[in-house]
Parts: sequence; structure tokens; C-alpha cells
Amino acid sequence: MEHDVALTVKGLKTYFYNNNRCNRAIDGVSFEIRQGKTLCIVGESGCGKSVTAASIMQLLPTLSRIEEGEITYHGPDGPVRIDALDRGGAQMRSIRGKEIAMIFQDPMTALNPVYSIGFQIKEMLMYHTGLGRRARHDKAIDLLASMGIPLPERRVNDYPHLYSGGMRQRAMIAIAMSCNPRILIADEPTTALDVTIQAQIFELMETLKRDNGTAIMLITHDMGVVAELADDVAVMYMGNIVEAGPVGTVMRNPVHPYTRALLDSIPVLGRGKDQEIKAIPGQTPDPYDRPKGCQFADRCMHRIDKCDEMPPETQVSDDHRVMCWRYQEFASNGR
Amino acid sequence: MVDAPITRPRTRRDGQFDRLRDRETSMQGKAKRGGRFLGKFLSNRLALVGFVIFAIICLMSLFAPLLAQHDPMSPNLRAIAQPPSVEHWFGTDKTGRDIFARVLYGGRVSILVGLGSALLSALIGVIIGVYSGYVGGWLDWIAMRVSEIFMSFPQIILVLLLVAILGQSLLNLIVIFTLTGWGGIYRMARARMLSIREEEYVQALRSFGLGPARIAYKHMLPNALGPIMVNITLSTAAFILQEAGLSFLGLGVPLSIPTWGNILNAAQDLRVLEQNWWIWLPVGATISLFVLSVNFIGDGLRDATDPSQQG
Amino acid sequence: MLTYIAHRLLTLIPMVIVISFLIYLGLELTPGDAVSHMIPPDAYGSMDPDRLQELRESLGLGQPFFVRYWIWISGVVQGDFGYSLAGGVPIADIFLDRLPATLELSFAALLISTILGSILGTISALTRGSATDQGLTVVGMLGVSIPEFFFGLVAILVFAINLDWLPVGGRTLPGYDSFWDRLPNLVMPALVLSIMMTAGVMRYARSSMLDALSRDFIRTARSKGMPEWRVNILHGFRVALTPVIVLIGFRLPVLIGGSVIIEQVFQWPGIGKEFVSAVRSQDYPLVMMVALFSVLAVLIASLIVDLLTAIIDPRVRLGE
Ligand SMILES: Nc1ncnc2c1ncn2[C@@H]1O[C@H](COP(=O)(O)OP(=O)(O)O)[C@@H](O)[C@H]1O
Ligand SMILES: [Mg+2]
Repeated sequence: MEHDVALTVKGLKTYFYNNNRCNRAIDGVSFEIRQGKTLCIVGESGCGKSVTAASIMQLLPTLSRIEEGEITYHGPDGPVRIDALDRGGAQMRSIRGKEIAMIFQDPMTALNPVYSIGFQIKEMLMYHTGLGRRARHDKAIDLLASMGIPLPERRVNDYPHLYSGGMRQRAMIAIAMSCNPRILIADEPTTALDVTIQAQIFELMETLKRDNGTAIMLITHDMGVVAELADDVAVMYMGNIVEAGPVGTVMRNPVHPYTRALLDSIPVLGRGKDQEIKAIPGQTPDPYDRPKGCQFADRCMHRIDKCDEMPPETQVSDDHRVMCWRYQEFASNGR
Repeated sequence: MVDAPITRPRTRRDGQFDRLRDRETSMQGKAKRGGRFLGKFLSNRLALVGFVIFAIICLMSLFAPLLAQHDPMSPNLRAIAQPPSVEHWFGTDKTGRDIFARVLYGGRVSILVGLGSALLSALIGVIIGVYSGYVGGWLDWIAMRVSEIFMSFPQIILVLLLVAILGQSLLNLIVIFTLTGWGGIYRMARARMLSIREEEYVQALRSFGLGPARIAYKHMLPNALGPIMVNITLSTAAFILQEAGLSFLGLGVPLSIPTWGNILNAAQDLRVLEQNWWIWLPVGATISLFVLSVNFIGDGLRDATDPSQQG
Repeated sequence: MLTYIAHRLLTLIPMVIVISFLIYLGLELTPGDAVSHMIPPDAYGSMDPDRLQELRESLGLGQPFFVRYWIWISGVVQGDFGYSLAGGVPIADIFLDRLPATLELSFAALLISTILGSILGTISALTRGSATDQGLTVVGMLGVSIPEFFFGLVAILVFAINLDWLPVGGRTLPGYDSFWDRLPNLVMPALVLSIMMTAGVMRYARSSMLDALSRDFIRTARSKGMPEWRVNILHGFRVALTPVIVLIGFRLPVLIGGSVIIEQVFQWPGIGKEFVSAVRSQDYPLVMMVALFSVLAVLIASLIVDLLTAIIDPRVRLGE
């Protein structure tokens, strides 16, 4: 099965320079997002998931920059090197929102409290479509309706504080989907919401993917969500993708100790009540004082001397890769 | 979009970032700088400059008898309104008094009024604010209403009203400033207490059975010291400005005592303003410099004690 | 919204009553009795004692304190503010005569400092850390550190005496009383009066803007691909504006305070100048009345600020 690739990231490094220190938040990350598929990026908080998203959108804060690497957007007019564009330039702006749109973790704070939901949707339409005033208004109502918001004609003029958390996230998705982007980046879109609402939001995203062929990059720290929604998965740890591949392969045959630990830390449906749930021991290291070699070494049960050296990215199979010196042992081991 | 650039143009920041990155790789895991508060204060250049100016002016006023060759009070009819000279550095005023000496001695009173009133009002504000903020109840209610009443007057109107009632004297002025100034710091201390009150360690202390006064003053107050210090600094600056303004109007410290404001009072006369610049310009500049230095210190303190700001 | 206004008024009225009460107390405790405040002083001297006593009774001065307060406050509400000790002019006439000058000066300064302060503060925030930002910060510090009247003195020396561009002081010359004739007289006092407040507004606008720019919805706005100016102005500045307006309301007392001294420096014939001479000559009735009305002005200003905030902020506007 050949799919068009929507976005390629190769060897991306993004560093932060706050407080006169250098934080190597992302240190060489590569992946692809396939058209019409969901890529899940999973990892503990602080591992660089949001920074990856911000790098793609060129929404990094001032005291940070992309050091190296390529981010290529495969748009309708041929490939564009996003990393080479000016952050605030017209070219980047025409991609942001129109070609690649994003929704954020906390719908409570992601919407501007002083403007109506309708205004915030129409704003997007104003910049990326040629629609007139009236048409924009109608389109905003249509969008809200398709997001399952009741009485959209009325609600379009409401301010965010009159929306519940789940409805705000739907409104956020309405904004993001308003210009039919080719890629939707969702940064932990349900972390701040109730579990029941979480399911509804994911269902909505699935529908959008199916109907519009949008490629989705879904950021989460929840392996359960990955199992549910992903086509591909990339496991991140301290600025590296330690393991990546199609979701079936990675879930069935995880070869990185971190992936295995993550999977062990969630309950799996159908394994019964007495399954063992193990938290990952230790804590993530101080980002300013990272280990020299494998970032996970300090917390790893299988650590050897060699782990003081950074392991290279190795292909386990055609589409499955890992960063670990001992992966072969775990691979043969099975589960 | 085939002609899209391949590399982003470098900016001014890039060089700075490169240096940081290289330093980090070359000295991995070195010891960090200690003394966060002092370090931050000292690294704030303006605060440091402010502190030096503040210290110099204070010391010069303190050692006025050693530095000034003339008496600030005694008129000299043979040297009336003389421009600056070797004999009289800042010249003399219309009764022949040496202005340099008057500025030095005036500084003593002005700084006393400013700092003294700020400390007194902080003392009152903190004592009431800390206790009533922690305990609440009717005491808190009354203190809050009283401070509201004080604060609904424009400060200078209230001060002048009290001057009209109590009369003009140095002591009265300090009392009046304290009366009109305690409200602000009271509210701040109270607000801090209200937020600290909810913290776990306070709950724990209460469960140990410690008395409310002890918890409030001994355990909670130290956590509110940062903003209190900032507030004291800023109100010192404000009081010095107010003293100057009142004395300029002739309604502050009695004219017989030299203060910065009283020296400036002479400039109400247009002729002095026009012809004898040395009578008012140096002292005006001194007030400005002093208040500026205090404000710089206050700013530095704010930055150094504010945990929310980093870098 | 209506209930909100009602609520605010309900908290305000007790405050006004308590303060007017305190002021009446002050009036009773200071030298001179109510009769001397209520009839013109020249008439007072020539009146025979029996007649005075009669008047005292008729005014209820033999009555208990609260009744006297009631009589006094009813008079004030009906526009009878009593008489100034100096010259025996009705205080109401003094107010009518002097208030326009003070309002003119204060509003000019308010306008200048609000506009200039929020623009400079916003520029400062948008160029955070740059030389522009640091320069503006230091200038702002100077603005709050130099006594306003000293600024005024220097301005008079430079622009009025040496350069002779603007008049030394006063508000108007006889025969020239349109606003445009007065404008040259207004320029210096208004600018000098606005300095300190401009610096305050600037500083506050900067931090308010920085705060707004660090919020999540700014990132959302950027993620829509809008130009930076729109993100900064429509989303950042718009949200930063609310606290700035609140600050301006709270700064009103500072403005009134400043105008007391500035009116003296520029011989501006307003309430402030009148107030200073009343304090000097211990003209208590006038002092107390000015104090009472300045409190009213402050309270009303804070009410207006609250309403404005409510209009700007949908959460309050829609009665949440
Ligand atoms: N705005 C920022 N300023 C400074 N450091 C940041 C910022 N955002 C993220 N970082 C740093 O980058 C690293 C990765 O953070 P992030 O991508 O937010 O993690 P997460 O995987 O939870 O989304 C962390 O070490 C964090 O400290
Ligand atoms: Mg995140």
C-alpha cells in the first residue's frame, strides 16, 4: 500500500536558550506523516512532543531555534522546506492554518476570551479564503454544526466562557478545520477534558480524517489512545524518537525498553483483572543535565556499559526502527 | 514554490545562541552560581547603580557637618544670592545662606521623613495586615473598611486636609504620611497572607496547635517579606516626592527647617526662577536623582524576589 | 448588567455616607461654628447676638449631633455648600467658577497620558529586551522620579522665559476666552501633569501586554497564519487593554493630587489652587468641601472604570 507523504521531518534539532542555558529539547528527530493517516507521538511530559509540533508550525518562542534538520511539507505545489522559511513571513503564514492547522491541549485558555467563537472562526476564513462577509458567517455556522454543536446559529455569537470544555475543543477543531488543512496537528487535545468527552472528540477527529483525507499528527502521553487511533506511532523520550513504526508492529513487538515499560504501565483490555501494572521507575532527567549516551539509560533495567554512548537509529524491519544497543535481544524475546 | 530558500538567514540572536550552545558543550555539568537573590540583584545593573547613588547621597547627608563649611541656617548679608563659587559650591540664597550646606542638611530631614514614614506605615500595615489577613473576622472587616475610607481620598488632598487640621510641624508630617500610607501596604500584606494561608505548611502548623499570632508572624510573614520590602522602597520614594511637593507649597515641614522641598520653595518666585537658577536647579536635581535611585533599587528588589520571572 | 450596576451603587453609598459624616465631624471640631459657615461673614459681624441665637436654634444647632449632620447633608445635597471664610463667598460659587479649569486640565492630561502611555508601553513590550525597550524603561523611571513641579519649573524657564514660546502661567486673558485662545496656556500644565501618569501607564501597559502575549490564545492566533500585527493588536493589545483602563481609573487620585501642585506652579485658576490657599488660610469649610468632592470624584471614577471594564469584558457584560 503506497500512501502519499504529507510531511517529512529529518534530523530535526530544536534547542531552547532560556536563562542563558541551552536546553537541547529535540535532538535529532525524524518521522513522516502520511496522507490520510494518523501518526501518534507518545511520550512522558517534557520529552519534546509539543516542541516538535511547534517546530513544524514555526511557532517556537523567541529564545529558541531550529538548529539542524529538515522539515518538508509536501503540498499541492511541490515540496516546501518549512525550516528555511521566515517565522513570520508571508509564505509561512500561508501554510500555517491553511495547509497545516493545529489544536491545543487546553481549550480553556486556547481561545481568546474577548472575542466570540464565530469571530475566531471567521478570522481564519478571512485570511485563507476569498469568502465574503456573509459567506464567512454562514460557513462558520456550518462548521459549528458539523462539529456537533447544537443551535449553531445562536452559539456562533457566544463568547468562549459560555461554552463547556468539550464544546470549546470542538470549536477549536472547527477553527482548525475551517480551511480544510492537509495536516492537522493535535497536541494532547483531550488531556484537559473528561473521559466521555475525550471519546467524542476522538470520534470527531476520526470522521474528519475519513471524510477529508486529512493527515493527523496526534500528540498524547496515553498508550491507550495510541492503540485506539494510530496508524503509525513514534515513541519519544527526552528529545529522541526511541522507537517508531506502524502501530500494529510496535504494539505487538516493542523492542525498546522504554516502549515496553510504557506498555506495561497501562492496563490492556482483555488481559483480566490481575494483570501487572508497573510504573516506570525513576524520573526523567534534568533537561539541562542530560545523560551523554542513551537518554533512558539511567532508568533502564537492561543497561550495559555501552549505553553511555548514544545508540544509532537502527531499522528493525522495513518500517520499524529503534534507538537501542540491545534491541535484538528484546526482539527475539517476543512478548 | 520551487524557488523557496534552503537555509534561513542568520539573525543577531543566532550568534548569541551559538555562544551559549558552545559554552554548554564545553563545560558539561559545572557548578552553578550560588545566592540566587543576591546574584539576581547584583546582575541588575540599574539596581546596582541605584544603590551606589543612594548610598552616596545618604552618607553625604549623614556626614553633613564634616562636608559643609558653612552653617545651613545662618544668613550672610554680605553674600546674598551669589552664583556658585569656590567658597559656596552651589551658591547662596536670597538671605546669603550656603545652598550646598542646605542641600546636605536638608537631605537629612527629607530622607528622615521619607524613610521614617515608609517604615512606620509598613510597620502598622504589616502588623494589622498579617494578623487580620490570617485570622479574618471582624478585625479584618474593620481594618478593610478603614483602609477603604483612607484610600478613597486622593492622597495629597487627605494630606493637606490633615495639615490644615493638625498644623504644620515635622512630627505632624511624619504622622500624617504614616496615616495616609499604611493602607496600601496593609492591603498587600493581607492579600499575600490570604494566599499563603491556603498552603499546606500552614495547615500543618495549625494542626500542631500553634497559636494564630505565632503562625502569622513567625511562619507566614517571612514568606511575604519580598513584596513588603519592595513596597517600603517605593513608598519611600513617594513620600520624599510628597514632602518636596508640600514644602514647595509652603505647607510641609516649617520653612525654618531646611529640607529639599523647602529649598525649592524659593523658586515660586518668578525672579528667582529666572535669575538665580542655582537656588533651585541643583536641589531639584538632587531630589530627582535620589528618588530615581530608590526606584531603581525597588525595581531590582522586585525582579530579584519575584519567583514568576526568570532570566 | 443592571444588577451589576445596582450592586456597585449599593456598596458605594454607605462609603459616601461614612465619609461625609467624617468630614462633617471635622467641620464641627475645627474652629468656628456652623452659623459662621452658613451666613456671609460680613453679615455675621454686624448681626446682634439675640438674632444669632435665634438663627442657631432655627438651624437646629441645639439639636443632637446626628440631627445637625442631617441638616447639613440635606443642604449639601441641595447645593448649599456653605460659605468660605475668606471673603464670604458661597462655596458653590467657587466650585462653579473653578471647576471647569480643573476639569479641562485633568482631562487633557488624562487623554495625553492614556494614549501616549499605552502606545509606548505596547512598543516596549513588543520589542522586549531590545535597546528601545530598555531606553523606554529608563525614561519611564525618570518620569516617576522627577517631581512634577520641578519639571514645571524647568519647563517655565525654558519654554516660557528663555524661548518665549508659551505663556508663563494663567488660563486666559480678559477678552480671549475661546478654547483655542486658551490652548497655549493649557499646553505646558497639561503636558507636565501627564508626565508621571504617562510613565505609570506605560509601565503597566508593558507588563499587561507581556502578560497577554504569553497567553495560550496568542499561540492559537499565530497558528491561524495571521500577520503579526493582527495577533499583537487585535488579540494581545485588546486583552491587555482591560487592566490598563482599570489602572487609569485608579490613577485618577494621583492626577487630582498632581493638579493641586501643578495648578500652583502654573497659576492655573482651578480648584487645586483654591484648595491650597484655603489650607494656607485655614478656611476649613472650603477645605472640607473640596475634600468631600474629591472623594466623590474618586468613587465615581472607580464606578465608571468598573462599568467600562464590564463593557470590554464579555464575562462581566453578560452577567456571569
Ligand atoms: N516555552 C518554553 N521555554 C523554555 N523551555 C521550553 C519551552 N517549551 C518547552 N520547553 C522545554 O522543552 C522540553 C520539551 O518540552 P515539551 O515539548 O513541552 O514537552 P511535552 O512532551 O510535554 O509536550 C522541556 O525540557 C521543556 O523544558
Ligand atoms: Mg506538551
